[in-house]
Amino acid sequence: MLGIDRRSVQNFDWTLLFLIGLLTLAGMVNLASATAGGEVMSSEFRRQLFSLGLGASVAIAFATIDYRHFERLALPAFAVAAGALVLTLVIAEVTRGSQSWLFGGRVQPSELAKVALVLALARYFQRYPPGQTTRLRDLLWPAAIIAVPVGLIVAQRDMGVALLTLLIGSTYLFLVKIPWRAWLGVGALAIAALAALWSFGLADYQKERILGVVDPGRDRLGSGYQVSQSRIAIGSGGLFGAGYQEGTQTQLRFLPTQHTDFAFSVLAEEWGFLGSCLTLGLYLSLLIWGLVVARNSKDDFGSLLAIGVVGCLFWPAALNVAMVLGLAPVIGVPLPLFSYGGSALVVTFALLGLLMNVSMRRYVF
Amino acid sequence: MIGGDGRLGSGGDVEIGRRIPLIATFMILVFGVFFARLFQLQVIQTDDLRLRSERNSVRTLRLEAPRGDILDRDGRVLATTRPAFGVQVIPHDVHEPDVVYPVIARLLDRTESEVRDVVGQPRGRKRFQPVRLAGDLSYDELARVESHLYALSGVVTDLRPRRDYVGQHLAAHLMGYIGEIQGSQLATRDFADYRQGEVIGQSGVERTQQAALRGRAGGRNQIVDVAGRVVGIIDEIEPVPGGSVQLTLDLDLQQAAEAAFLPDVLGEPDKIGAVVAMDVHSGDVLAMVSKPSFDPNAFAGGIDAESWKHLTTDRWKPLQNRAISGQYPPGSTYKAFVVAAGLEEGLIEPKRKVFCPGSFRMHGRTYRCWKRAGHGWVDMRDALAKSCDVYFYNLGVELGVDRLAFFARGFNLGRKTGMRLPQEMPGLVPTSAWKERRFKERWVPGETVSTSIGQGFNLTTPLQVAVSYAAIANGGKLVRPRLILRVADSDGRLVDGPSPEATGTVPVAPEYLALVRDALTAVVEEPGGTGGRARVAGVKVAGKTGTSQVVGLKHTEGLEEDEIAFELRDHAWFVGFAPADAPEIVVSAIVEHGGSGGTAAGPVVQKVLARYFEKRAVQQVPAEVAWFEVPHAGH
Repeated sequence: MLGIDRRSVQNFDWTLLFLIGLLTLAGMVNLASATAGGEVMSSEFRRQLFSLGLGASVAIAFATIDYRHFERLALPAFAVAAGALVLTLVIAEVTRGSQSWLFGGRVQPSELAKVALVLALARYFQRYPPGQTTRLRDLLWPAAIIAVPVGLIVAQRDMGVALLTLLIGSTYLFLVKIPWRAWLGVGALAIAALAALWSFGLADYQKERILGVVDPGRDRLGSGYQVSQSRIAIGSGGLFGAGYQEGTQTQLRFLPTQHTDFAFSVLAEEWGFLGSCLTLGLYLSLLIWGLVVARNSKDDFGSLLAIGVVGCLFWPAALNVAMVLGLAPVIGVPLPLFSYGGSALVVTFALLGLLMNVSMRRYVF
Repeated sequence: MIGGDGRLGSGGDVEIGRRIPLIATFMILVFGVFFARLFQLQVIQTDDLRLRSERNSVRTLRLEAPRGDILDRDGRVLATTRPAFGVQVIPHDVHEPDVVYPVIARLLDRTESEVRDVVGQPRGRKRFQPVRLAGDLSYDELARVESHLYALSGVVTDLRPRRDYVGQHLAAHLMGYIGEIQGSQLATRDFADYRQGEVIGQSGVERTQQAALRGRAGGRNQIVDVAGRVVGIIDEIEPVPGGSVQLTLDLDLQQAAEAAFLPDVLGEPDKIGAVVAMDVHSGDVLAMVSKPSFDPNAFAGGIDAESWKHLTTDRWKPLQNRAISGQYPPGSTYKAFVVAAGLEEGLIEPKRKVFCPGSFRMHGRTYRCWKRAGHGWVDMRDALAKSCDVYFYNLGVELGVDRLAFFARGFNLGRKTGMRLPQEMPGLVPTSAWKERRFKERWVPGETVSTSIGQGFNLTTPLQVAVSYAAIANGGKLVRPRLILRVADSDGRLVDGPSPEATGTVPVAPEYLALVRDALTAVVEEPGGTGGRARVAGVKVAGKTGTSQVVGLKHTEGLEEDEIAFELRDHAWFVGFAPADAPEIVVSAIVEHGGSGGTAAGPVVQKVLARYFEKRAVQQVPAEVAWFEVPHAGH
């Protein structure tokens, strides 16, 4: 149980490791270019390398311990994550308009909340199979589980991450068997909620960004500037790209957040249509492979975990790429494995470790 | 541990398995949109976008909003923003450094090596970034540089808004100064929408009215080439200038108050101290001076380290606003409150006389009156007019320290006046409980003796004294000093206009305050009064002199004033209001190390009052002037 079973070694998922390895490598190479500035290694790159080492160890730990033990950890983990979010609200200093960092900016509790949310929802749906969920009121409990972290993150004024957490939680809605008529009701509620958020929850600059997608001429100095620079960078990459560290947009720092939220536009400029399609293709393969792992899992909990992990990777990637390509408002959502940020990298690796865990134990009983 | 509900086999929940392809389809669709968008940008539009990238890139330049004006109550400009011409060098474009640097150095009256040091030897992209050589050229300098520009490749001139305090040192402490926002300020909610490097008000009105004066920055999207050089402008959003702040200050009075601190002997430094002039009914601050002062223009272009060090380490603390944060023993100006307390408590029969032999004995100790020979028999009015200490020793001991404190607090001593300026100090009103707390010692009756003439632990600021005397003058109302008259936005629309406020009423009946006013009139207007030097022709003035001791008497006893070292000389107080019968204005002044109140501080107040009535006489209709200038031969 603890320790490594012989069969789980035999069933090691080399495909998954290959996909993770390739994407991580691409992400690090891209970051090296995005932060290049004279020295051999930028300080950001060095820090990310350190986080990568930490992330790898965490991934191994998450892959080794049989995932069925995680079921019992789900509720305590959820409580701890919620506690950390409350603590952040109380003590963290306000940085960049939202208060979302603990321990001098080293830990972002909203990242931990993602893992806790997936565990909690997997545990819930394992007990009450989604296939038997046929009425909206059956979703009250899952909705409450999602509402706790989302509400706390909204209170931190981190709207991007709140939306992301909401979407990750709602991945499981794909599984429930609720008739389409019921969704009309949900849709109406969602529109009402969005209207309320627009009136009371969003700062003016956030509204500007959303309006900026509809009308890029608005907010020409703020996010509109970023989006138009991002478009120029991507477009100028052409079919084959400008080459590593050759993108003029990137190297001349036209994008203020090119190593964090706009990392993908650096890749698109320097590696062109082929490079960006290859990278997105790899990403999609990883996600599909994650779903294959979910399908092959020997029990519901494993499937549900794997689906949660896929959700945790898909939603930020989709929101981020849509934003970089000018298809969605500029919200601060990083691209997993590509954007600079230690907390996010370690959590991503933990989730991938969990996916490997489920995959390795598909035949073990 | 394992087992139980964990199902065997490869399927898991059939329903979950059947729904997984739905998720996969959704993801493939989303990524399909991305591929299509990438195709659109990178294959179809690539030529167009690459052109913009390689030759033309858009960069946003922030256009700072000019800071709003600060005006006096009549709309005269105290601080404004004017254009300032600067000179910049773009190192990459300097093709003949051996020609350009010596010439530009000579034009700017600097040495060639100085210029080369400032420019340095930047590498990489930095070569294209302009380096500032001079920030605020005079028109002569600008003309000289401009006429040589054709020969100076790589040298450009630029135009930026610059803060200009028209009166230089005038009301510097009220104006305050500006400076770059600090990291600690950026972290607070108040400055959530500020960015690094932005210049904000760091003290005075510049700081308290920062939000109104700031305006909104605009921007210019300009086309730059790969080297970062501007080759065109796409569009521009005009900055919105800051709003204007109109103060209650009266420039004429302010100038008179500033001039009152000029030295008696030409060439000597200005006198040190502070003066506050205030409307007794509205609390409008008409003038406020603190000396020594500074020129806030020194901060306008970013102050250099040496000047800053000079200002902060100077022993006379020029940055401190003595009018609100200088805490001095009130000296004999305190006696008016003691009289008010005695009347209210029924301890004074105004006509009853007390004998002053020149000293007062209690518990075997002798306390001297300032007049060694004694004042003889004095009643309440004489005691205040001649500032007889012995009368107040008796009265103070009878009242006791805690009753004295109750009335002092009642006149707003010992707490801030509520004027909305940072760094205001509350002063101190001692009580027996306070001494117990502070020193773990019992209150000694002898301390009550010195407290009752405003010495000892008592501390007040010039503004506090003005507010408490305004209450005596206006019939008992404690006004909140008001500095901001009106705030308007750049289009002239009214944004804010605080109304006069009262913060309370003094605990003394109006008829007693009238008796105090009458005695204070005697201080100035009657022979033998200590405040004769504050007399203003044609107006009856009431007031009180005061001397706050810097060291115990024994060091300086028996010496003439000019024999005492400057730092050991007493501070001189004078506070006065006028017209005595229907007061309008109160002026309180302290002259540090000025010696006795009547001679050093009296004339300061006199000059401000004289200017006020001179100006009012011009504005008033002749009939009224005639009415108020009826001479009183008897006084």
